Amino acid sequence: MSAEVTARTRRRLSGLGRVEQRWGWFFALPAIAGFLIFTIGPMIASGVFSLTDWTIGLSPRFIGGRNYHTLIHDHLFWKSLTVTAYYTIGSVPLVLIVGFAIAMLLNQKIKGLSFWRTVYFLPTLVPAIASAVLWIWIFNPDFGLLNALLRGAGLPTSQWIYSERAAIPSLILMSTWGFGNAMVIFLAGLQGIPRQLLEAASIDGAGTWARFRSVTLPFMTPTIFYNLVTGVIATFQVFNQAYVMTQGGPNNATLFYIYYLYTKAFTQGQMGYAAALAWVLFVIVLIVTLLLFRNARSWVYYEMGDAR
Amino acid sequence: MSQETLPIGTQQRPSVTRSKDRRSRGRVAPTSGLRPRDRRPGRMLGRIVLWAVLIIGAAAMLIPFLWLVRSALMNDDQILIAPPQWWPNPFAWGNFSGALTAQPFALYFLNTITIEFVVITGTVLTCAVSAFSFSRLRWRGRNVVFGILLTSVMLPYAVTLIPTFIMWSELQALNTFIPLMVPAWFAGAGGGVFNIFLMRQFFLTIPFELDEAAYIDGASPWRVFWTIIMPLSKPVIVVVVIFTFIGVWNDFLGPLLYLSSDNKFTLALGLASFQGQYTAQWGYLMAASTVVILPIILLFFFLQRYFVEGVTLTGVKG
Amino acid sequence: MSSPTWRPNRRELLRFAGLGAAAAAVPGLAACGGESVTGGSTSELQFMYWGSSFEKTAIEAMLTSFQDSHKNVTTKPLYTPDDYTTKLNTLVASHRAPDLAYLGAPDCFRFGTAGNLLNLYDYIDKYPGLKDRLPYTYFWYGEDKLAGIQTANEVQLLWYNRTAFKDAGLDVPPADAAKAWTWDTFVEMAHKLTLDQNGKSADQSGFDPTKIRQFGCSIGTVLGLNAEALVRSNGGSFFSEDGTQCALDSAATVKVFQDIADLAYKYHVAPTTTQLGNNAPTTTVQLKTRRIAMVADGQWDLLDMAQSDLDFGMGVLPRYTKPVTIGQGGATSIFSQTKNKDMALELYLYHNDPAKVKLFSDGLWMPLEKKYYTDPKLIDLWTKNKAHPAEFKSAVIDYALNNAVATWTQSIKNSAAISELITPPLQQVDNGKKTAAEVCKSVSQKVQPLLKGSYPQGDLS
Repeated sequence: MSAEVTARTRRRLSGLGRVEQRWGWFFALPAIAGFLIFTIGPMIASGVFSLTDWTIGLSPRFIGGRNYHTLIHDHLFWKSLTVTAYYTIGSVPLVLIVGFAIAMLLNQKIKGLSFWRTVYFLPTLVPAIASAVLWIWIFNPDFGLLNALLRGAGLPTSQWIYSERAAIPSLILMSTWGFGNAMVIFLAGLQGIPRQLLEAASIDGAGTWARFRSVTLPFMTPTIFYNLVTGVIATFQVFNQAYVMTQGGPNNATLFYIYYLYTKAFTQGQMGYAAALAWVLFVIVLIVTLLLFRNARSWVYYEMGDAR
Repeated sequence: MSQETLPIGTQQRPSVTRSKDRRSRGRVAPTSGLRPRDRRPGRMLGRIVLWAVLIIGAAAMLIPFLWLVRSALMNDDQILIAPPQWWPNPFAWGNFSGALTAQPFALYFLNTITIEFVVITGTVLTCAVSAFSFSRLRWRGRNVVFGILLTSVMLPYAVTLIPTFIMWSELQALNTFIPLMVPAWFAGAGGGVFNIFLMRQFFLTIPFELDEAAYIDGASPWRVFWTIIMPLSKPVIVVVVIFTFIGVWNDFLGPLLYLSSDNKFTLALGLASFQGQYTAQWGYLMAASTVVILPIILLFFFLQRYFVEGVTLTGVKG
Repeated sequence: MSSPTWRPNRRELLRFAGLGAAAAAVPGLAACGGESVTGGSTSELQFMYWGSSFEKTAIEAMLTSFQDSHKNVTTKPLYTPDDYTTKLNTLVASHRAPDLAYLGAPDCFRFGTAGNLLNLYDYIDKYPGLKDRLPYTYFWYGEDKLAGIQTANEVQLLWYNRTAFKDAGLDVPPADAAKAWTWDTFVEMAHKLTLDQNGKSADQSGFDPTKIRQFGCSIGTVLGLNAEALVRSNGGSFFSEDGTQCALDSAATVKVFQDIADLAYKYHVAPTTTQLGNNAPTTTVQLKTRRIAMVADGQWDLLDMAQSDLDFGMGVLPRYTKPVTIGQGGATSIFSQTKNKDMALELYLYHNDPAKVKLFSDGLWMPLEKKYYTDPKLIDLWTKNKAHPAEFKSAVIDYALNNAVATWTQSIKNSAAISELITPPLQQVDNGKKTAAEVCKSVSQKVQPLLKGSYPQGDLS
């Protein structure tokens, strides 16, 4: 084994290494070019905006870091941050677990599997406006589906999205219906588990749970990690539910960060302040993502691990 | 190995040795169907529970869709009454013909499909190539570049909207499909990073021995990418295709900002116009929405075959 | 081992990166200055608007007929079904504003004070059609400075289901402002029209407020237009006329707010906001299904009502002291960078003409010029058709002419920020969680720093 490693190393340093270096950059060129052409410009521009007092229609006026100062004293900034963090912490793990469980369920040899999988993916496809109307009925305290079920079971009912305390938990519950995207990715990930390992494990006498824990789960960690990171990044930027269903209420209980940013940017035309809000969120999400990546080293397993 | 840094998120893998041991140690005994163990009563129970969960879950999943369809078949005055009625009375079949003729949906469909075709091809190709670079090629600065790319989805698009729009207007690309199609060929530029990330995760689960063998035989990285890695990655490619398709199909803000001529509108814009400031044509909206999601359902249904059924939870070979 | 034909090395790549980033950032920063390019060449007028596909058909017909009847002009509709303010702000920020556009009040005042809009006051001599409109339809942003005029007029009235009244054996709401019900009469009527599932009305003993089949009335939220009309009718207001004081905590205003909340929570004759829901059925549906017997809402419902088979009626709102309603609507403005000011103004007048746009006779819109409310022949032009019922003249036309006042956002400065502040707490009054007195007092104090005065109102009527 060690002879192989040194041979590989020698080869890499001489020929393979140089080729990889060039081809690496070359293959990454579309992405890098895309970033430079389409992304970095607007990012820098928005950073500059955040240092100005810019009401759309007027010319921007440079004011340095004053927006950031205002931001810290803006109680709606803190409110929207807490609301969004609450939602993210509640929704992401829930959606991951549900998505994973259902992906496992739908990775069996079942008759009509295509049909079942499509059915479970359907809620993700129903357009947001139809979904919103439906859920407003489901949440209705007097004759909505949820309270009807609770009453039937003799449990106390809730005001759901009409109550300040229950609003975010209600939206978290609603978000679990959107597990479809996570489920599809988990399904794809389950394809990559070497069947021989599972068979070998079962021959060796490992039960269902043991097989899951030592073969399936480790192989799924890359996709779990992906869904976790993208889930956090996307959920921090949740917007639609506030826009379509609650308009940030009741009494700012569902004032999501991006919704607040949007009203500042477009309803009030305060683009400079909105840009400052955007960059604060950027830094927060960046830090959280970095922490996740750092933490991932201890639990994410890649088959390429020892070679790379 | 001085400058070699491990890619973010990997760990040293002693258990590769263990799996190799397994493969060499225990052969798979030939089986001829159900083994005696499989006729345990627990196995039947497991099967029943599985089906029960499946069916109950499916019923819950179908509620939003059934809601959509029943609303599409109802007159406006019945759709929003509460408590809701589930059976239309009468059946408003006219909603479908009315909605689809109220606006040139055939044209919108054509426009959307055109954009789809260009965007999906561009996205799959460029994102796969980039992901390959970030996962299976070693080069200096790889992780830093990947990290920088990832930051492009962390900045809310509300504030990059205007500078991006200005850039396209300077390039005289307003009222064309260009702003909607070109970024896809640059690995999605922005949202596309998620695709690169996803494919990277998948590529990292394929053993490097395959590449190595090819390099020894004198293959170029392109050959390794195209003939070895891509064929093994059908599941993740299917996922990227599905998500990209849905993304373009439902994209509202992009077409809204960049398209001003009626004959260039996409399906998403067509749907939005059923809701006005003072009035809303709910029946038409629901009917049109139902028709609009059908192609996605079909696409998803038919791409299923790339997700081969795996091993059952109870261990019988799949 | 093959290698690619072009091998970029790191230095080259860094150079390209730097150039690319610089080049890409420039257009974004160019927003800060540079010359403006209005969409539309000398002979093209861009008209940006919102609305359902129904309205779209009517507006595009109007634009086509304008184009056909005017030489050397093409019109380009910019139909924006949703996210209107996003697109509008993006266009303005990139110096590509349309020629004419619908604008909500906050946007109209923001762009007006920033100088982006044509001051219509400068053109009243050349285009006298801009004068003699209902006084509350003008958007003044300074002395002799007019940013826009309403696209169409709308007033608030009391819609009701005639059959519900017949069944209860009650007189229908008056269609004449002089005979408007007092608030107490209104509440009394609402009691009689609120029925539980056993058929008992709210003023009878044994009435079960948890099982209501039909509500007597619905007024809406305390910050809504109906509430504002009632507050004005009681001699109160939301803000002082000069925009420097908040009047939400005045006795007159608090009383009206509490009366409205009491309808739902004390008397159970109106649905609560949660019973109404966030995406409530339209007024037409509420009346048709007899879920509610009387609904205070805008005139625009006429389009829907007329096309349904509901036996509806239109009446005036109840009053406290004098009968008052609110007249309002979004503005249409002309952007100042338009290349063809005269044609833009012609189109402006054209789009207000009831003879050129079907939406007036269909019942969705009301005209702006006084003559369409006073001259019998002109009244007939837009109301003598199947859509407009007999009582329309007194319940709506006279009401809009004699009893309508402007809404507060049309004159109070900084209205968007003020709205953002006062709306969430007052939702607690709508939810029955707090009394109007407590909320109004604390809101008044909090909103004081945001009050920046009001725009001086001119007079062109």
